[in-house]
Amino acid sequence: MEVDNEGETEMASLELEDDDDLTLEQVLEMMEVAWLNEKFAPEILPHKREIVELLLGQITYLEERLQQLPSTDFKKGIHQMEIDRLRYLLTSYLRLRLEKIETFHKQILLEEEKRADENEALYLSPKELEFAQEFEQDLEAHLAANMNFCPNWQESTATERIVQPNLNSMVFLKAKKDVEGIAIDDGKAESSDLIDLASGSQVLINYNNVASLVKNGDVHLI
Amino acid sequence: MFGEKAGNLIKELSRCENVLPPYNTDMVKEVCAEIKQLDDLNRSNGAIVANESGLAVNSNPLYPTLRIGVTALKRNVRCLIAYHHNRLRILRTMRWEFGSVLPADIKVNMSSEEVEWFCQYSRNLAKYMRSIGEDGLNLGLDLRPPKSLYIEVRCLVDYGKFELSDGTVLLLKKDSRHYLPRTECEELITKGIFQHIL
Repeated sequence: MEVDNEGETEMASLELEDDDDLTLEQVLEMMEVAWLNEKFAPEILPHKREIVELLLGQITYLEERLQQLPSTDFKKGIHQMEIDRLRYLLTSYLRLRLEKIETFHKQILLEEEKRADENEALYLSPKELEFAQEFEQDLEAHLAANMNFCPNWQESTATERIVQPNLNSMVFLKAKKDVEGIAIDDGKAESSDLIDLASGSQVLINYNNVASLVKNGDVHLI
Repeated sequence: MFGEKAGNLIKELSRCENVLPPYNTDMVKEVCAEIKQLDDLNRSNGAIVANESGLAVNSNPLYPTLRIGVTALKRNVRCLIAYHHNRLRILRTMRWEFGSVLPADIKVNMSSEEVEWFCQYSRNLAKYMRSIGEDGLNLGLDLRPPKSLYIEVRCLVDYGKFELSDGTVLLLKKDSRHYLPRTECEELITKGIFQHIL
């Protein structure tokens, strides 16, 4: 019992960074939500830059702390495992985003341009945007190298080559607070039903109807 | 029949899932030739249809031929783009599986343009990964959620000495078994030096 208590307090002190308002637990919770949303949403979501940076900082900090522990300490293994889990969460999140960026790069770049024109917040981080632009250039160069024998192939297929996510795919979600009056649009213009979500309820729903709720954080995907 | 060769090209690709079939230079050339032939045909037919101004355009006897020619041309172009694009997608998956250096047996199946694209892609990806955080984050690691800290691996080749991050030096011989921290051997597993024993 005594050993247990000692272990717990030490773990708690390891996890808390002094100069920050958020505990690791809170950061982790936000990261998990962001990760799940990104994983299940068909389209790319706004980049959670603050959370990613916080978690990265935490990982570095924890790793430094871990270096100081003697290698014979049995807690070292447990903490190492914890750090590995954090790192997996983070890399997986960024990988999911990259995959979406690559698949829908044209669509995403067009939307980002529109957002930039209207002075809205961009969904991609600057580095991701750079990546997307270079990816597009390389792809176009590769296709051009193989297709340039054929006159105006680029213009005639420009719209056909835009890959778009299926925004009408079904997603499971959980409501974080009461949301009222979600219009269920089943494709027919005149018949739109309204539904209310109670906090904590789980539903299977068309993504298109709840996209804005996912982005503002009232619901999260599971 | 128009469009048949292009269709075969796509079929060949979709039969090999996650494996890169050899770049079919001959077939691609044939499709290109067909596209050129169709283009010429459409141009001459189009000129005739436009010149016979006495008739309404869509009652001209040549009109159906022209329509078929244009559709076939479009289809061929689209198949050719799809062929090249989807090969890149397979290569992209392989970048994540094998890292930036591809095994020789895959390299022989790539066209020179694809080799170039792959280098560009790797470079772009590496640049992105370096930019995360202060000193970069390797997204190529931690591909699977960690289940346990240590894993059992078998060494498949005579690798020689291998230093762990805590300074211990191991001698890796063919068929030797080791019980190592997962983070240390992940890279060697993707390179094919270790085999993970489940």
